[in-house]
Amino acid sequence: MFEVFRITLKGIFRDRVFHGILVAAVLLPLVPSVSQLSMRQVTELSITLSLSLISFILLLLSVFLGGTSLWKDIDRRYTFSVLSLPISRTRFLLGRFLGLAAFLLLAALVLGVVACVVVSITAGNYPPDRPVVWGNVFAAIVFDALKYILLVAAAVALSTVSTSFFLPVFGTIATMLVGSASQQVYEYVQSPAGEKLTPLLRQCANALYYVLPNFSAFDLKVNAIYGVPLSGQGTLLTVLYFAVYVAMLLLVATVLFSRREMK
Amino acid sequence: MNAIEIAGLSKTYTGKKWTRVDALKNLSLEVAQGEIFGFLGPNGAGKSTTIKTLLGLIRPSSGSARLMGEDIGTAAARKHVGYLPENPAFYDYLNAEEYLLFVGRSFGMPEGLLGQRCAEVLQRLQLWDARKRPMRSYSKGMVQRVGIAQVLIHDPEVYILDEPMSGLDPVGRALVKEIMTELKQRGKCVFFSTHIVSDVESVCDRVGIITKGELRSVERVEAVLERGVVGYQLTLKDREGSRELYVPREQLTTTVGELAVQGVEITLLEPRRKSLEDFFLEIVTGTAV
Repeated sequence: MFEVFRITLKGIFRDRVFHGILVAAVLLPLVPSVSQLSMRQVTELSITLSLSLISFILLLLSVFLGGTSLWKDIDRRYTFSVLSLPISRTRFLLGRFLGLAAFLLLAALVLGVVACVVVSITAGNYPPDRPVVWGNVFAAIVFDALKYILLVAAAVALSTVSTSFFLPVFGTIATMLVGSASQQVYEYVQSPAGEKLTPLLRQCANALYYVLPNFSAFDLKVNAIYGVPLSGQGTLLTVLYFAVYVAMLLLVATVLFSRREMK
Repeated sequence: MNAIEIAGLSKTYTGKKWTRVDALKNLSLEVAQGEIFGFLGPNGAGKSTTIKTLLGLIRPSSGSARLMGEDIGTAAARKHVGYLPENPAFYDYLNAEEYLLFVGRSFGMPEGLLGQRCAEVLQRLQLWDARKRPMRSYSKGMVQRVGIAQVLIHDPEVYILDEPMSGLDPVGRALVKEIMTELKQRGKCVFFSTHIVSDVESVCDRVGIITKGELRSVERVEAVLERGVVGYQLTLKDREGSRELYVPREQLTTTVGELAVQGVEITLLEPRRKSLEDFFLEIVTGTAV
């Protein structure tokens, strides 16, 4: 499994898609200048822009690398040679996933360090009313990375059954959209306005809320921007949710991939 | 213990419009260690399906098979095998050396031995100069050579090669045949599929012919060639000089006797035989050639 992990990382670093997406990171040094557009909350805006840019880059990486990694292996017939080695399909799949996950974490950390430099420059020039809580900024970046690792797990699961490029890529984008909106939809259904909906629709919405991923818990941007203290229990539950959800997705993915025939 | 044991292997697909496609029908076969077995058949006969089933890439609908005594579909069975897929494709962002190291490590080879074997096979397959270049820049023949190199690196007991000569120039083809012969001498089992009859004729001990998913014949190549003698070409010498004469197989004894009476000297006697290709065509088309 470690060998698959290693060549997955090598593949990403040599991938043109990665090089292309990396170009977006050159926007980070521009954040202090753009943040000056805010007359009063320059540092807060710099944190917002930095975290949003990091999130956007991680989203692109998870969709285009996560969604195409396994699909490409099957489509280009790399699997014929690799799966004939004494590596079980489960280990191969886990190696692929762990490589992608490690890369996302690494990318988030590198981008996070650059963002911290950018924010500290801005905070030095325009001291904020509330001091920057670096722990919260760090937590926001790590939880953002966890969110996209979960998305990669969904992308890998979709790739195991896909015969074309569309399902893993567009399915991953759809998962992202649904996961970002599921909490709001749930809250709407529970609100007085939601009571006007038919009982069947409400039950469906409730059921989907528990089945589909919920990414809102991973969003700690407000805590990072305004220095709002993190809830210890909340973050622990989010980590637990992440671990269980990823484990379930990978379990489904390994079952499906083990049954797939490499014609 | 046989290197490859296949018992009643069948594979049925659901084709277009839910039609049933019998890709393999009750295939049974044994291949011994130290044997080169040619698996011959026209395109779409079921050669690659058989091979992919042996490697666990496809699940059989029924039947069983073992590689060096291990059930197919397990990592333990694949541990004994070097597999070259048809028209192979490897991670093209890696170079040949990196890919061979990946393969060797997957087989759990110790680093020292792996480095040594890697250098040996790269040189043998004439890839040494290109070893640091990404494989995406390789020609088809070079990729095929990487394919051969990656089956050799861990020195397995069983070599399963799907169209190993495909994409190779005459020098490459000769090299692969030479490697196969060497493997046989070292007691390894080589099972290779092809639709090129001359490849089988030149290196194989036995040949299996498959058509429409059914194994139609398994023969010793030597026996096929011996059985295929249809006549003899005689070179004669008498007072008038040298001449040649073709004699059907059944008339040889009589003709030799008559020539002796006439005082004609036989300077050369060469058998004329049906080729393996004729044998193959007879089975595939169902008519004598």
